[in-house]
Amino acid sequence: MLWATRRGCHVDRTACVWLIRRFIDGEAVFSFFEDPAEAPEGAELFDVAGARLSHRGDDCSFETFLKNYSLEDPVLAEISEIVHDADLMDDKYGRPESDGLDAIIRGMQLVLPDDPTLTRHTDAIFDGLYTYLSREVL
Amino acid sequence: MDVDVGSAGKTRWLILIYQLPREPSRYRVAVWRKLKALGALYLQDGAAALPEDAVTREQLEWLQLRIREAGGEATLWEALPNTVAENRDLVEAFRGAREEGYGKVIEGVERIRRKADLGGERASLLEELARIEREFRAERRRDYFRSPLRTEAAEALRAARRVLKGNTSAVDREVAREGG
Repeated sequence: MLWATRRGCHVDRTACVWLIRRFIDGEAVFSFFEDPAEAPEGAELFDVAGARLSHRGDDCSFETFLKNYSLEDPVLAEISEIVHDADLMDDKYGRPESDGLDAIIRGMQLVLPDDPTLTRHTDAIFDGLYTYLSREVL
Repeated sequence: MDVDVGSAGKTRWLILIYQLPREPSRYRVAVWRKLKALGALYLQDGAAALPEDAVTREQLEWLQLRIREAGGEATLWEALPNTVAENRDLVEAFRGAREEGYGKVIEGVERIRRKADLGGERASLLEELARIEREFRAERRRDYFRSPLRTEAAEALRAARRVLKGNTSAVDREVAREGG
């Protein structure tokens, strides 16, 4: 399936890309656009104003994905708290990991050439976070 | 994140102009809180400014969407002040807005140092210090123009941590000696 979002991914979008690849669509293909008008036809848009899979009320897009796809994994719930705090900067969950993740991904944006490369690298970060939190949660 | 005042002496700003229905008031309060958390400055009622960068732009775009969802109207604008003097005044207003927060951090650290001098329990003092460090980070995140008090607050926090940690290890050594 073809998925599309805005260019210049930060924590919420990189986390969504990882979530889609690992938990929703193993065959996912991604397109990153500058303006929503450039989005390829038939693509499922996410983290874009007005899209089904986007910010909803107080939730960031990652949280919306979990609710829409009924992903009730407790480790994903923890990651969603970290992503929420990093994305919305409202300290809702007081997760200390958020500040570090925010700094790391912001820096990776600066050194990596584009979003496909960035998300390949951030996949490894979220894999690590998931494995680490699994040991604590389960 | 620090914003460069460009070579022409002017910053590029984002201005959110919005209006929300008077009732229910919770949306107005939520928007006001979010703007305050971002460190935005109200130019007047319903018109808030932030220096432009990728993060402030994204945050304001989402806020714009939320205002519309709540039945309000919001438009987001890029702006350059007309004169260098106007720009300077705005930058100074932003710096001034952060002084209060940093001042509180410095006061909090002094309180902890006094308690430590009086032999306060270190674990709880370290916890109190961690809380103030979180406040400092929140303040720093919205300190776009490096308020002068930032360095002072950061140094006060570092010094307090050094003192408390130093004391802790002295106690640990003592416990270890007695235990051995």
